[in-house]
Amino acid sequence: MKLTKPMKDALQIIGKGGAIIHLTTSSLHGITNTVAERFITVFKDEYILIADMFAQKTRVNLNENPTGVITLAHPVKGRTWSFSGATTILQEGLPSDFEFEGIKASEVLEEWGNWAEKEPPTEVPPDIRPPRMVQRGVIIMKVIEINDYSPQKAGDKIKT
Amino acid sequence: MTKLTPRQKNWLEGTGAHIGTASKNGVPKVIVVDKAIVENDSTVKFILSEKQKELIVANINENPRASLGPGGIGSIRAAYQFKGVASLKGNELFVNVDEIYSTKPGPEAGLRLDNLPYEDIIRFETSRWADDGPPR
Repeated sequence: MKLTKPMKDALQIIGKGGAIIHLTTSSLHGITNTVAERFITVFKDEYILIADMFAQKTRVNLNENPTGVITLAHPVKGRTWSFSGATTILQEGLPSDFEFEGIKASEVLEEWGNWAEKEPPTEVPPDIRPPRMVQRGVIIMKVIEINDYSPQKAGDKIKT
Repeated sequence: MTKLTPRQKNWLEGTGAHIGTASKNGVPKVIVVDKAIVENDSTVKFILSEKQKELIVANINENPRASLGPGGIGSIRAAYQFKGVASLKGNELFVNVDEIYSTKPGPEAGLRLDNLPYEDIIRFETSRWADDGPPR
């Protein structure tokens, strides 16, 4: 489903340190993994992209169970959103016609395969910046459902 | 037995966590709670709203494993992931932490911390971060 403009803005904050999300994935038997991710963007209104910086367990989980949940971690005010949907990792070397949920891998990698060049992480404070931005691919989610996670509305569906 | 460091406790208590749960066949559900209380060095307690509890109760009953990532600015500064066994008592969610990982971007992402000697974990933290918790 398509993200609203405020959602797209929240996930693509340029400057002031950017947005942070948590990506939760699960093994096939329910062992979850929840990690913060900083290099995020929205692609074609209904896909969320994250730079894959060697997220080992995320990869293992997505290889056997291609689904995920993205929860906005910072800045949160008025943005208590949880996005879920089909999720995988796109990487150089996939067949040239490889598609995921209607998107060509080559199209995503061409634009976002070198995140550091497109959006250099210079403004990230040195103690939390990766020493060197080594990217292996792009984690992609096709957003299928959006929910509120605020305590009083947790789980309520958001229509866009 | 796993023992959380003062820094880990301060961040979890101050900023709460994004709590990952899943059904036994791997369908994830996440709730976000902005405060926590750490009991007995390794148990993290969260007070849930009715809706938060409804969302995860079925998962916890069939699969008690949960993962925690610090919320708010903790997601930036407190680069940890905690994993453990979750249980519900009324509206209180207890997560008994038995695995702690560094999620610091770069070569130490995914490094397991809880199996290091406690003094080494403290040394790891003090050499990498200047704070001992969220700004007060």
